Amino acid sequence: MILTYSRNKYAATTDMSDGSLFVQTRVDDTVFSATMDMIVKPPLLEIISINGEILRACSEECQDAATLLQKAVGLQIGTGFIKTVNSLIGESYGCPRMADLVLEGCDQVILRFTVDPLRQILTKSAEELMDAHKMFVAGNPRLIGSCIAFSKESPLMAGVEL
Amino acid sequence: MITFSRSKLVGVERLDENTLLAHGVLEDFIYAMELDVSVKQPDFEIVDIKGRMKRVTTPVCDQAIPKLQNAVGLRIPEDEFARKIHRVVGKEGCTHFANLLVECCDAIMQTAIYENIQQAPNKHDFLKEKTRSIPSLKESCVFYSKMAETTMGG
Repeated sequence: MILTYSRNKYAATTDMSDGSLFVQTRVDDTVFSATMDMIVKPPLLEIISINGEILRACSEECQDAATLLQKAVGLQIGTGFIKTVNSLIGESYGCPRMADLVLEGCDQVILRFTVDPLRQILTKSAEELMDAHKMFVAGNPRLIGSCIAFSKESPLMAGVEL
Repeated sequence: MITFSRSKLVGVERLDENTLLAHGVLEDFIYAMELDVSVKQPDFEIVDIKGRMKRVTTPVCDQAIPKLQNAVGLRIPEDEFARKIHRVVGKEGCTHFANLLVECCDAIMQTAIYENIQQAPNKHDFLKEKTRSIPSLKESCVFYSKMAETTMGG
């Protein structure tokens, strides 16, 4: 069977010398191709600069949508962020594909800060692993109830104060 | 040095006149997983999902695989579709599976819109017709909103 459509999406973070993160997101699909680069500054995870380009789209009008990205400057990755980005950049008066690139990049920022503690946890022995996960979730209360592993019924949550 | 990266690859094939199948792969520094999602037209109803987790972080994560079935019966153009997926597949199962499923479903909709556009004698008329056959397209972005306005006007 020959594919009718393909999509390749890539996002990556690089740590900068001043502690900020450089975030790159790329999407290349049968119809649409775009890039987004931004700098996010901890600890508030504020977007301090952002740039992007639409390389291919169904209409030439769509090329202008890259300028919408500037609306994300000053936003902080946190509660309500998805709704804010969608309302500023996406939805019926904007470009949901560019909003999606911003959200994709911001997901990677959160995951980047999760890699190091997880790397530590996953070096533990089977006996120590459960306690290590419990300590991790206790220190990251946003994870509680976020998925089946951190649900009330999960063995990883036994003894963790909710 | 790259400190985190995620790649998502989705391919969509047409199984028959009314069925599209998406195969999605997610690979990042932490997780690796795959999905096969079948969708029936014209309602874009999810009729089948199969998933595989190749790399996860906890011994509980694989209990999220059966939760993929919570999405069967949902229709991609319905209101709050992505939010529903993030609840019934993500929160009740795995957020990264939900993320990949939304990616696959979005790819399916893009396929339904743009499939055969290369053969269309007039691209604008082709897309105008799509706003009639896929009503949710009308409010999907500024381009289709404007197109819907001109269609209603003329």
